[in-house]
Amino acid sequence: MIELRELALTDPEGRWLLRDLDWLVPKGGKWLLTGPSGAGKSRLLRVLGGVEQPRRGTVTVGGQRLWPGEGAMALLGRLRVGFAFASGGLLSNLSLRENLALPLRFLGLPPAQIQARVEAALEQVGLGAVAALRPHALSGAARRHGNLARILALQPELILLDDPLEGLDSADRALTLALIQAWVADPGITLVLAQEEPSPFAELIPEHLHLSATIPSLETP
Amino acid sequence: MTFLARLGAPVRGFLEFLGDQGHLVLSTLRHALLLRLDQVAAVLGQTRLQIRFTGLDAFLLVGGTALLLGAVTLIQAFSQLSGLGAENYIGVLMVLIILRELGPLLTAVLVIGRSSTAIAAELGTMQLNGEVDALVLHGVNPYQYLLLPRWLGVLVALFALVVFFDAAALGGGFLVAKLKYSVSFGFYMDSVRQTLSNRDFVATLLKVVLFAGAITFHACHFGLRIRRSQTEIPQAVTKTVVSALVAVFLIDGLVAALFYF
Repeated sequence: MIELRELALTDPEGRWLLRDLDWLVPKGGKWLLTGPSGAGKSRLLRVLGGVEQPRRGTVTVGGQRLWPGEGAMALLGRLRVGFAFASGGLLSNLSLRENLALPLRFLGLPPAQIQARVEAALEQVGLGAVAALRPHALSGAARRHGNLARILALQPELILLDDPLEGLDSADRALTLALIQAWVADPGITLVLAQEEPSPFAELIPEHLHLSATIPSLETP
Repeated sequence: MTFLARLGAPVRGFLEFLGDQGHLVLSTLRHALLLRLDQVAAVLGQTRLQIRFTGLDAFLLVGGTALLLGAVTLIQAFSQLSGLGAENYIGVLMVLIILRELGPLLTAVLVIGRSSTAIAAELGTMQLNGEVDALVLHGVNPYQYLLLPRWLGVLVALFALVVFFDAAALGGGFLVAKLKYSVSFGFYMDSVRQTLSNRDFVATLLKVVLFAGAITFHACHFGLRIRRSQTEIPQAVTKTVVSALVAVFLIDGLVAALFYF
């Protein structure tokens, strides 16, 4: 599903974050991406999603060459991707319900199916009561759950999660953990989760890529 | 060598800008052709919003400006041409000054001030909030959802505003002509109609199409280039206004030369 060859990443100031990373994630694979703040986890996720260009190297996702190339545009209509942002990511001029429905409209689903999927996803994350509100009227936790609800509604083949537990209280963490456990158990979903510490996902997702300084290390069970 | 480098940098920047504009226009056209029927509703929804903001919300401003301009144009013309039978040239004056030139040009300037600035700021904010990335990541084509509706919306709104501007300016002109020379509405409109030609309609239509493209894609270019900080937004808005104004005046000159030189 994901194939990286000789990937190199730099931060906005041009300092090296990664060099010569070769990484292969098969379809249905689950990987944990760890490392200290600033190590390049979010940047690597964005490269995998095709919205950030690496310094060099090739990135192939779902059989489509993203880099060098036109990035995420290569995946449009070919692979369903769900991305949970560490912050933001919901369209501010749409309600939460419309945010969830928009990708499904572009997917070409019939209106009844869109409505059913959106309402089910909103109920699952407990946001049914605030579905008509726009993102700025929601709490930080609700916005993060909104990102997860969009993934639920889209039913993607590739899920990229950026620090999904950050800033959540125990109840919200439990809800997010339950969703991630369900995705991990689904063999049809490829998942990459970025988090500073392996805990609490270390047992759930044994395959592990640690980013530190400039040389990443691969850890597999 | 330093002199050549100083000369080369802005030239290269300008060529890059032109290349990016061409890329945006061609990509938007290409993705517009790939639009599926089931996606049209989402695109039309955004287009309606753009028409409402650029067109409907600006009607009062454009109408008031046009009314005053039409009136002032004839007041000045009559003050200079009194005694020379100025009332006989009312139609010529209104068509030459307002309908051919100032109508489309001033409407475009007003749309640049209101809408291209808003488009640049909105797209820049969306970039900073990760909204543009979120769209493309989740399978929503940004050319179809962001650029195409803004282009279509500005095109439709600009066309409607130019027609309204011309009508309001003619109305303002008529008020002055009526008060000063007791000119009848029939005489006034006949005078305008005799001077107007099909060439004027075609030239105005071409201007509207080109102006709408310049206004939209300059705003999209500078808005979508914002990457890092909120402080880039006012800079992008300023660049949008300046470059869109230059483009609109250039287009106006070229169309005038093409049709009337």
